[in-house]
Amino acid sequence: MRVKLKASSQPRKFIERIEELSGENVYACYQCGRCSAGCPVASEMDLLPNQIIRLIQMGLEEDVLRSKTLFLCASCFTCESRCPKGIDMARVMEAVRHILDPKGKDAFGPGEISPELAQEVPQQVLVSIFRKFSK
Amino acid sequence: MKVHYYPGCTLKQKTTALDISTREAMKRLDVELVEPEGWTCCGAEYPLTEEKIVGLAAPIRVLRQVREEGGDVLVTTCSFCFAVLKRADKAIKDDPLKRKRINAYLRDDIQINPLTKERTTGFEDYAGEVKVLHLLEFLRDRVGYPRIRERIKRDLKNLAVAPYYGCRLLRPQEEMAVDEPDSPRLFEEFLQAVGCASVDYPFKQECCGSYLSVSLPAAASEASYRILRSAGMNGAKAVAVTCPLCFYNMDHRQEAIKETFLDFPGLPVVFFTQLLAWALGVDKSVLGLGEHRVPADNLFSETPATEVRT
Ligand code: SF4
Ligand code: SF4
Ligand code: SF4
Ligand code: SF4
Repeated sequence: MRVKLKASSQPRKFIERIEELSGENVYACYQCGRCSAGCPVASEMDLLPNQIIRLIQMGLEEDVLRSKTLFLCASCFTCESRCPKGIDMARVMEAVRHILDPKGKDAFGPGEISPELAQEVPQQVLVSIFRKFSK
Repeated sequence: MKVHYYPGCTLKQKTTALDISTREAMKRLDVELVEPEGWTCCGAEYPLTEEKIVGLAAPIRVLRQVREEGGDVLVTTCSFCFAVLKRADKAIKDDPLKRKRINAYLRDDIQINPLTKERTTGFEDYAGEVKVLHLLEFLRDRVGYPRIRERIKRDLKNLAVAPYYGCRLLRPQEEMAVDEPDSPRLFEEFLQAVGCASVDYPFKQECCGSYLSVSLPAAASEASYRILRSAGMNGAKAVAVTCPLCFYNMDHRQEAIKETFLDFPGLPVVFFTQLLAWALGVDKSVLGLGEHRVPADNLFSETPATEVRT
């Protein structure tokens, strides 16, 4: 992937905010890729978990905030259990979702689920997905 | 033995098979289950950022209620409830700031005793007095496998079952502290105690797609297919689960999975508690088998109901 780096003070703020929210040390990542190798949804993602964290390290806020990956993560903690540096990517993803525009559109809101499906699924799936993917 | 039991909202309304089979099995093991008064949904998701900690209020309220009723253990079966309750409890124990903030928020709760109509308020801070156990842990550590073995009424040795842990039961290990996340034994040992043959396969702790089954069904189908196919190829006649969502993804959605993956012949999915109740001699009519989309009846009749030990 080709990216252009620009010098500004913004990136530090973005990184600090992610670290503060997630409690994870973003710079600890050395790009081994184990998180992406074990991720069950990797094939659907535009940016793999290790790429998300690399872009955060580089302060490329916009690219991260735009990624579909944020709303594909199932918080299954497979990456967390395999990261040799102890990073919990599920927490990093949640931190990024947290700083998305609070007035923006829901990535997955109640309107997107048909009444029939809502009747059929276990309650926990509705509680979960709206907690994760809507405001 | 008496213990507090948290069924959670899904077990109360949709996935009652897990709840009723749990109750039947516990009766046979002389365990009395007590539901905490006025419990609410736990919130399903443990808050993963340091700022949305209000998500801790619901699970802590449930745990505090158990303490108020004199309980020191809370047992739950749904992996989602288990993860939320266990992680919330640990956060309150380990982090003085979270403990202070959540307790400040909950202190002025008003509770009305349903019998005496007496109002209680001004609760003592909850500081982690209740131990949260998954039913699998409770069976291993408190009931004990010897007691289960003593009470077995049906021989399930011809039933090969693949244990499925899924995502929430084991991870993150530091907080869940149930078993090794990559080489767990808990579920296997349970199946052996019940008398089944436990099938080893590489997908037992992979994720089934979880809540993505409503936002991106194709991804959940693929994830669930990988698990089911691997279990079947390794000789399992059924996959055993602990979580209503895994059950939905692998049982209710199995027709859809078969339409995409034509090589998949199908495989029943059961709750671990159905196996336990059945082995302990519970009647088939109260196992909740009517809730299964993939017929699981055969599993519970193939094995002759011979009295093995009394
Ligand atoms: S597994 Fe950990 S260290 Fe490796 S790329 Fe992923 S986050 Fe970075
Ligand atoms: S928690 Fe998210 S990023 Fe990590 S493996 Fe699971 S789905 Fe992938
Ligand atoms: S985890 Fe799920 S089933 Fe359990 S109480 Fe919470 S929302 Fe309900
Ligand atoms: S829904 Fe699937 S992925 Fe989630 S707890 Fe159940 S097993 Fe795990």
